Amino acid sequence: MYLDYQSAKPVDPEVIAAMTPYMAEKFGNASSLHEVGDWSTEALDSSRRTIAHFVNAREPEEIIFTSGATEANNLAIIGYALRNKQKGKHVIISEVEHISILNIAKYLRKNGFEVSTVPVDFTGTVRLDKLEERIRPDTILISIQHANNEIGTIQPVMSIGKIAREKKIVFHVDAVASEGQIPIDVQRDFIDMLTLSSNDIYGPRGVGALYVRKGFLLNPLIIGGGQERGLRSGTEDVAAIVGFAKAAELALQYMPEESKRLRQLRDKAIKTVFETVPRSYLNGHPTNRLPNNAHFRFDFIEGESILLSFKERGIAVSTGSACSSQTLEPSHTLMSLGLLHEEAHGSLEITMGRFTREADVDTFLEALPGVVKRLRDMSPLTKTEVGM
Amino acid sequence: MPKSTQYTLKVLDHFKNPRNVGTLEGKGVAVGRVGNPVCGDLMDIYIKVDDDGKIEDIKFKTFGCGSAVATSSMITEIAKGKTLDEAMKITRQNVADELEGLPPIKMHCSNLAADALHEAIKNFREGKKGPVELGETRFACPAGEVKNVTGLAEFVGKGVFTGYEHPEQFRDKRVLVVEFDQNSVEFALELTKVTGRVILLSPLEQLAVNDELKTQVKRSDIKHLKQAELVEVSGGSEVEKVRIHDLDEDEEYDLVVDAVVVPS
Repeated sequence: MYLDYQSAKPVDPEVIAAMTPYMAEKFGNASSLHEVGDWSTEALDSSRRTIAHFVNAREPEEIIFTSGATEANNLAIIGYALRNKQKGKHVIISEVEHISILNIAKYLRKNGFEVSTVPVDFTGTVRLDKLEERIRPDTILISIQHANNEIGTIQPVMSIGKIAREKKIVFHVDAVASEGQIPIDVQRDFIDMLTLSSNDIYGPRGVGALYVRKGFLLNPLIIGGGQERGLRSGTEDVAAIVGFAKAAELALQYMPEESKRLRQLRDKAIKTVFETVPRSYLNGHPTNRLPNNAHFRFDFIEGESILLSFKERGIAVSTGSACSSQTLEPSHTLMSLGLLHEEAHGSLEITMGRFTREADVDTFLEALPGVVKRLRDMSPLTKTEVGM
Repeated sequence: MPKSTQYTLKVLDHFKNPRNVGTLEGKGVAVGRVGNPVCGDLMDIYIKVDDDGKIEDIKFKTFGCGSAVATSSMITEIAKGKTLDEAMKITRQNVADELEGLPPIKMHCSNLAADALHEAIKNFREGKKGPVELGETRFACPAGEVKNVTGLAEFVGKGVFTGYEHPEQFRDKRVLVVEFDQNSVEFALELTKVTGRVILLSPLEQLAVNDELKTQVKRSDIKHLKQAELVEVSGGSEVEKVRIHDLDEDEEYDLVVDAVVVPS
């Protein structure tokens, strides 16, 4: 039973069906001038239009296909910063960005740029006052996520976009966590660049896209045959791109109903956990959060132990505990909320998706109180702290 | 790199069915505690020593990840029936070997069971045979005397409060209250009515207030940071972060807050 949709999603069977012809029958290279090549060119053009429509871009040419969201983030931030360094060498990100953005920021710092980070409040929402405080005359780029990938808090991207537009600063949004769950509109929200991933909307892995508003110049990171307007060379993976477009089409079609259904499951999960597990808390915003995300923490117990306990029951969940990470550092997002190490250790994240049934959530909710109790009975902290 | 949760079947067995969970009391009992919840591990090993100097019974209580639980469980099996001298020779490596290996990343951080056992034996030999003394105070002065906090003066009026302002000022903020006297603890309780995030910092293992107030704090949503002191306040135009010194571990760490109340 899978409650970790934030980590990976299965590919929708309709997507697989749409992709299949482009593996063997319509295998052409989109750059070739013969008919076999034309099939691929047409598929590529049509996919580009679909993705442009998905984010309400004005023109299909504003979509650059990449190998995924990490590459799109690299192209957006490094590509823009390198191209525009004569305008300024200051970039702003938030403290709760995805690890790829944090590491890109490190790279920029090593290469002569300054990167400021904007703090968040206890709900994980970016502080607009602090953002304005960090803007300088040499700020060239602001990069803030649409929603947080761990705790699910939705960021005020339209307000941030407005601030950036007024100050003539380019605004990049990483929409990977939110895409397919809440609408994205690059025009309404004053977004200049936007990162998308295919797998996060039930498309194949290994493909993503960067929306770049017309008129902005970037340095390419991959040089070659000049595909994707020279911004991303390499023969296009047409089958993957067709799958990505099909996934976007389905996401637009399913979103209203799917989000409503997941929101109900999420709220039921939150309510039940509060009722059945003493000293349990919700991380992130109580209401302004992704429809599929419920992120808890429990006093006196440790997240990897919780995860293992569910694993033996065949239930896949996630944790922000340091004990489950390669670095043994707790999640930077949880620390940015102002949580203590031991609180971050006790976190448990469930993320639901298209194929999650209410019965799955019920199974999880039935197992949770026992899992928590068993670990608390074993924990020396429980008695010390509250005599539970 | 192997995942942290790629455990051997033996580790998983000890995690799922831990042996000898619990506590001991009475004649010949001693306890060893190692770890720190901040680091994600806290382990208590209880031993009962018979007249021949052998470990007659052994129990554990552990807060921690899968390998912390499994190593605690395993060491109780290894040590049971051994003399104290034999038990002192059990190493972390022995525990890991008996478990058919631990992920490399866990060898140091979550393999504390041998240390806890040795601590218990040491306590037994030194005659400290009672339960773990959680109330044991390491510092003579009961209330926090705030001294030499870097950046504190600079942020007065910008998130640092030296007196008890109207609680409404703190609505929905993350507030750190430094324990000073009973008033500071009462003020922290008062703040829980306007914000969900109140952290009370005190230098001792326990609050220097009466039992009734202590119970109130325990039942509230206040997060009580014990044996810790404030060393630095930082931010932009207002307070954004504090640096806390954990006196027990002698380690420093950052904590994100919006306001700091430092009565004087």
